[in-house]
Amino acid sequence: MAAVDRRLITHANWTLLAITGLLFFIGIANLYSAGGVRFEDGISIAPFYQKQLVWGAAGLGCMIVFIIFDYRHLRTLSVPFFLVSLVLLALVPLVGKTVYGAKRWLDLGFFSLQPGETAKIAGILLCAHLLSRFKDSLGWRALFFILAAAALPCALIFAQPDLGTTLLLIFLCGGMILFHGVKKYVFRTCCVVFPLLLPLGWLGLKDYQKERILTFLEPSKDLQGAGYHITQSQIAIGSGELWGKGFQGGTQSMLRFLPEKHTDFAVAVFGEEWGFLGCITLLALFCFFLLCIINTARNAKDQFGSMLCAGIFFYFFWQILINMGMVAGIMPVVGVPLPFLSYGGTATIVNFILLGIVLNISMRRFMFKMN
Amino acid sequence: MELSREREGYQPPRSGVLLLYGLTAFLFVLFVLRFWYLQILHGEEYAQKANANRTRRESVFATRGIILDNKGRLLAENRPAYVLTLVRDDCPDIPATLAQVSRWTGNSLSALRNRFRQDSMRVKSFQPQIVATDIPFEKIYEIEQQIFQWPGLAVETRQRRWYPYGPLFAHILGYVADAGEKDLRADEKLALGDIVGKQGLELVLEKSLRGAKGLNSVEVDALGRRLNKRREEPPLAGENITLSLDADMQQAASEALGEHAGAVVVMEPDTGKLRALVTHPSYDNNMFTATLSREEWAKLTDDPRHPLQNRAIQSVYPPGSVWKLMMVGLFLEQKIDPRHGVLCHGGVHLGSHTFRCWKSGGHGFMNMLQSVTNSCDVYYYETAQRVGIDNIERFAKACGFGSPTGIDLPHERGGLVPGREWKRRRFGEPWQGGETLNVSIGQGYTLVTPVQMAVFVSALLNEGKILKPGLLENEEPVVRGVLPMPPAHRSFILEAMRATVSGGTARRINRPDAVIGGKTGTAQVVRIGERRLSSGEMAYRHRDHAWMTSWGMKDGKTYTVVVMVEHGGGGSSTAGPVAVKVYDALFGPVAGRAARETTQNGESRGQAERRD
Repeated sequence: MAAVDRRLITHANWTLLAITGLLFFIGIANLYSAGGVRFEDGISIAPFYQKQLVWGAAGLGCMIVFIIFDYRHLRTLSVPFFLVSLVLLALVPLVGKTVYGAKRWLDLGFFSLQPGETAKIAGILLCAHLLSRFKDSLGWRALFFILAAAALPCALIFAQPDLGTTLLLIFLCGGMILFHGVKKYVFRTCCVVFPLLLPLGWLGLKDYQKERILTFLEPSKDLQGAGYHITQSQIAIGSGELWGKGFQGGTQSMLRFLPEKHTDFAVAVFGEEWGFLGCITLLALFCFFLLCIINTARNAKDQFGSMLCAGIFFYFFWQILINMGMVAGIMPVVGVPLPFLSYGGTATIVNFILLGIVLNISMRRFMFKMN
Repeated sequence: MELSREREGYQPPRSGVLLLYGLTAFLFVLFVLRFWYLQILHGEEYAQKANANRTRRESVFATRGIILDNKGRLLAENRPAYVLTLVRDDCPDIPATLAQVSRWTGNSLSALRNRFRQDSMRVKSFQPQIVATDIPFEKIYEIEQQIFQWPGLAVETRQRRWYPYGPLFAHILGYVADAGEKDLRADEKLALGDIVGKQGLELVLEKSLRGAKGLNSVEVDALGRRLNKRREEPPLAGENITLSLDADMQQAASEALGEHAGAVVVMEPDTGKLRALVTHPSYDNNMFTATLSREEWAKLTDDPRHPLQNRAIQSVYPPGSVWKLMMVGLFLEQKIDPRHGVLCHGGVHLGSHTFRCWKSGGHGFMNMLQSVTNSCDVYYYETAQRVGIDNIERFAKACGFGSPTGIDLPHERGGLVPGREWKRRRFGEPWQGGETLNVSIGQGYTLVTPVQMAVFVSALLNEGKILKPGLLENEEPVVRGVLPMPPAHRSFILEAMRATVSGGTARRINRPDAVIGGKTGTAQVVRIGERRLSSGEMAYRHRDHAWMTSWGMKDGKTYTVVVMVEHGGGGSSTAGPVAVKVYDALFGPVAGRAARETTQNGESRGQAERRD
């Protein structure tokens, strides 16, 4: 392992770090404004922004851990880590905690772990590991090999039931496979076959999940349930107009009828208070953030690093797309948080860990001769 | 660790990198367009909607089901109660508003503030939070006139539970109270300020009684004033429940028990329906629906007479001689000849110990029937040694003793039927022969509840069905078991009870216009000493428990009546008169009772201090 080399510091991707810092700061300010008083267990009453700061600090610590060692160690760890996360997922239906009718948490006493989150990291690592074994575009056999590996955790998470995480995992793997490239004839066949499989997927959905998708297609049908959220969050964003209502100016708005304003609907609070200009700025920040990751993928020294970056790109990309799409009313309501803006302990730590891996790959792009 | 070293200057596939760039550009363009559409193109529209037309969702309380007795009299009803609620988001000046609430209601401001601060943690800022409860109707008029000056405040009508009979049904109905932290955590349908059943039927039938909340959407203007309400989902009222209990019977049984601590059970043997289930002393369950002060609560829990205890189902007592009814069933099963006589000298020697009969002079020769009517202990001492404890334990359990009856009330106790296995587990000691003797007369470790006794006697009358004591009028009888006795044995026991009333120890409850059977019991609380003390000589808590189990038939109606008087002394002398009054209520008073009373008093005086 390389000792701390000055070149590691100079090669560090300070731009990416700065953009992330800015996004996290916006997230904190936004949570402060949303001002939710925590009432989940009736004991803790610390405001969300304070808790999120604590999570951020913990995330930063994890990030540093993931910067220090050479990321190629992750390749050796990817298979065992994948197996561990499979075991955790399998434990959920046996000993998991039930919250709102879904079993997604493992209670570790001091901390509730969401194995769905660890499965995402494990999925990225394993996909990157497997994909970098193939130098050329994927043929049928390679494709099925990778899909079979990804199917296991997907099935376990779907059974929890957690549609959002399942879709995210599928999209993640799909994105990474496309990034790696598949043979032309494979690609063409897939383009025909997958749309035909969709109706089958519909049959596997739970009633409430179907309802959500139907609601999205016709929000006026269900003004009280999910349709209500969509309508209200659109009103919140739209009423921000060009300049927004100003910091904390949105408290008198519709927003207080949104039960998830500090988590999934955080960007509705932001859009209302900062208006179109604020939204564009936020969007630009997110896009810069993604561009930094793409650059790292381009410049990485080996295929594994490149694949890993692509996986992390898709991890953030899909979350931003699905969450903002949902809040802006162009996607169905599925519980996917917005990176760095939504409140959430596990998600924040995972985000920072993934960021650490990108920084790791980025700063070691010239370094291989060291080993 | 060996790290893979790949070819230098790895280049990711061009198409892949282009895909990522393309997706990022797509993301940017898509949302710029969407935000432009929402915030610039339709921004003004949405801003207007946001300002003018705020819809808020509010739950509408469902009426809790009422509880009636079998003749339709109200046992638990709902009365309107006015509360003041505050929505924090709508209130520009919370301290001033609280001060105003304090002025209106006369509640102290500091108490108001404390409660407000606590509740603020649990109620979301846009939801109504209760700041004052139980506001008298006259005050409401005054408040309504000024309330428009105080945005965020509203008068709401909630319902308060009211039990018109108070203590009479307190142990059966139980009570409701505001949902606490635990309830809220266990049931996500509950919100702060909801009431839930905490005891008795209110607890057991919570699901049926509660109903389901409805939903209103309320339009609120920018200042938080309500503009109009639209009902989205009507609330679903809770189910109304009719009990099998009869308020008149309950009242009569309660009066019959008078000042005694104890229980009265009146049951219909054929259906298992309870017509009265009284326990004394009682408490007023209306105290719990208002705010119960700490002192009041302490007074209830510290009361040495334990008014919160439902003695009919939650207290266990040695059954004393009442147990002999069951024992006779066992003897008959074990082919003991009922004509066979046992000589009673007034006691039995076993080892170094003497087991005494209540009649120190002895009864002389006693056959099985006489042993019931005279309640001769020696007969049971002798015969029990022949059948053994294992048979007693098996038979008693088969008769329903030692396990709860399944009545629809919480915290029922099952009593105890001791045996070898139990003793080894409990004390780590083997069973002693003398203990069998104690158990044979319903003493020793044996414990039963009054309602178990009523179920047993009912089973004798209804062809052996061990029924769940029914509290609900419309419930089909639930058969939980069958007495291990053929019809001939059951009629033998019933005949013995009949004889005990017509010429035995339970003579006191006889009446000419009905067929009555019964068995008295006097259960020792402390170990029987060298000489049996009379009640007057003992401290209250050492005095015997008095039992009277009986049944009565008149005009085609049959009832089982079980009376248990805690520390009442003699079964006949204390529990008997209670049973007499209950039968008066069931079958009407007996003409010329007064005259009969005097003669019988004289008669029983002659048997003064008789135990049974």
